[in-house]
Formats: sequence, structure tokens, C-alpha cells
Amino acid sequence: MYLEIVSPEATLFAGEVNSVTVPGINGEFQMLNDHAPIVSLLQKGKVIVDGDITIEEEYENKFTKNAKGKTVLSIISGTVEMKDNKIIVLAD
Amino acid sequence: MANLKEIRNRISSVSSTMQITSAMKMVSAAKLKKAQDAITAMRPYANKLTELLQSLSGSLDADTGSAYADNRPIKKVLVVAITSNRGLCGAFNTNIIKQSTTLATETFQGKQVDYMAIGKKANDILGKKGRIVANHSDVFDHLTFENVAFIAEEMMELFKNGSYDRIELVYNKFKNAATQIVMSEQFLPIVPATETQGSSSDYIFEPSKADIVEQLIPKSLKTQLYKAVRDSFASEHGARMTAMHKATDNATELRDQLKLTYNQARQAAITNEILEIVGGAEALNN
Repeated sequence: MYLEIVSPEATLFAGEVNSVTVPGINGEFQMLNDHAPIVSLLQKGKVIVDGDITIEEEYENKFTKNAKGKTVLSIISGTVEMKDNKIIVLAD
Repeated sequence: MANLKEIRNRISSVSSTMQITSAMKMVSAAKLKKAQDAITAMRPYANKLTELLQSLSGSLDADTGSAYADNRPIKKVLVVAITSNRGLCGAFNTNIIKQSTTLATETFQGKQVDYMAIGKKANDILGKKGRIVANHSDVFDHLTFENVAFIAEEMMELFKNGSYDRIELVYNKFKNAATQIVMSEQFLPIVPATETQGSSSDYIFEPSKADIVEQLIPKSLKTQLYKAVRDSFASEHGARMTAMHKATDNATELRDQLKLTYNQARQAAITNEILEIVGGAEALNN
């Protein structure tokens, strides 16, 4: 499925991933392929991306790798929209 | 005919002015490129947010009772003028000041109109015409989303607590390097989104739809202001680049003209000298 992480200052990431875990306002949840359409607010926490992805050099310092080799982005708040296997994370 | 030394001095002063203006043009061109990139970079975020908000509020009841959509009778108006901190950019600032005063004297005639300045020029000039509520000129030193969001929050607060019934944004919209469009748009109360087809009906919402909309509205307002400031920033450099380009052209023309005058004067002086010598020699021969 296709993931886009967009912040007000730049598009941080866009590409194919296996799964995304986001800090939803009612608790963390994971989205896999063919997840039902959803719109959710995000609270302060970590967006965890699983998949074989490359991040542009310019934004590399915003992301970290966790113990399992997944890519992690810390956000303060945000919104996520998933529809037709396309996820858009608006991160602040 | 002016004397040679005078012309020579003028030529050198025009040449040095030309060097300055062309250097400023180069600087603005480089900054413009950066500012333009920043606009392009923020566009996806702004578009996605608007899209999301529209698809949500389209299927929501028209009256959500949002504090930011409250259409009160207009008594007090706040005009937020976005200009630059520095001059030498043609009519860039003048247009904004003109538009702001037009709003105050014509559109909102008879209402109390105050100003908020983003940019030193607006603060200087509008301060003489009316009351400045706040001056946020330092935002251009570190133009980040957080800093602009802070101003947006202040504006939202002023609207919410009833200090102002209407907030207008006046800024230069960036079209291309040579063209800026003066925009005057309503910031608060928010303009209801145009009706869209209810394509969002099968979404899962977390938490409720109304809560999401309530959260997204301040975000979209911040984005709107950020976009305006970014646009204005890029326009400023565009305007300065054009102004400096024209100044360089004019200086070149002036320098060429002066050079011509200088050479004419020099030739005339030589001719005169020859005439005198020939005349003198002729007198000796006789």
C-alpha cells in the first residue's frame, strides 16, 4: 500500500510500505493492506513504518530506526486518512 | 557643455550604483528560488488538509456551531497586512497599504478598523493611519510553521473572545517572479466550504466526525496564514528582483548617455585646442 507523510514544510516520505502504526487519539493502531477507510486524529507519539523504504537524504535526520529495523517518526499531532490502500499522514 | 571632471564623477557614481543594484538582484533571485521551493513543499499539506476538511464538513450539518464560523454583526474589524521588512521592492508594500486603507475607508466604512502588522513597512505606515494591535515583523527572521501558527492562534483568540467580529488578510499572492496579485481574503469567520459530494460516508471516524472537524479547523486556519505569509515572502523577492533589474537597466542607459556626453565634450575640447594652435601658428606666419 502507498504511504505519504506530509508536514507543513515538506513531503517527508512517499512510497510503498507493508504496514503503518500510528498513535491514534484513542490509542495506537496499525494499518495493513486493505484496511477499511478511516479518518483519525493523532496524538503525540510515534509513526512506525514497516517496509523496505528509502528516505530522502534531506529528511533523514527526522526519522530514526527502532530495534526491529522499522522506521520511526515522532509527531506532536496530526491526522491520518486511509482510503483505497492509500494512506496520508498529515504530521505537525 | 558640462566640464569633463563633473561628467567623469557622475559616470563613476552611476557605475557603482549599478553594481549594487545588480548584486541585489542576484541575491533576490537566489532567495526567490528558495522561497518558491518552500511554497511548492507546503502545497501538498495545504491541499490535503482542505480536501479532508471539505469532504468531512460537506457531509456534516451546515451549522456545527463552531466558534470560528460565528457570523456576528460586524462592528470591529481587524485588518492583517502582510508586507516586507525592507524596501527597494517597487510597489510591493504600497499596494498592500493602499488595499488595507481602502478596506478601512470604503468596505468597512463607519466600523472600527484596527490593524495587525506582519512586516515592518506595514507597521511604520499603517501606524500613522490607525491603531496597530500587534506587530509581528520578526516572523520573517525565522519563517517556520510554528512561528506563524503562533500568530494564527492569537488571531483566533481575538476573534473568539469577541474583540473583533471580522478578520481580513491582505497580502501579495505569488504568481510569478514579475507578477504579484494583491489579495484580500476573509480569515475569520471561516467561509463555509463549498458543498461536495458525500464520498466520505463509509469512513471509520476516530473520534467522532464533529470532533475531527473541530480539530481540523484551527489547523487549516494556521495553514491558511502560513500560506499567505509564504506567498508574500516569495512575492517580496520577486518584486525586488524585478525592481532591481529595472534599476540596473536604467543605470546602464544613464551611464551610456553620460559616456557619450563625456566623449563629445572631450572631442570638443581637443578641437578647440587644435583650432587655437593652428590659429596661433597662422598669426605667427603672417
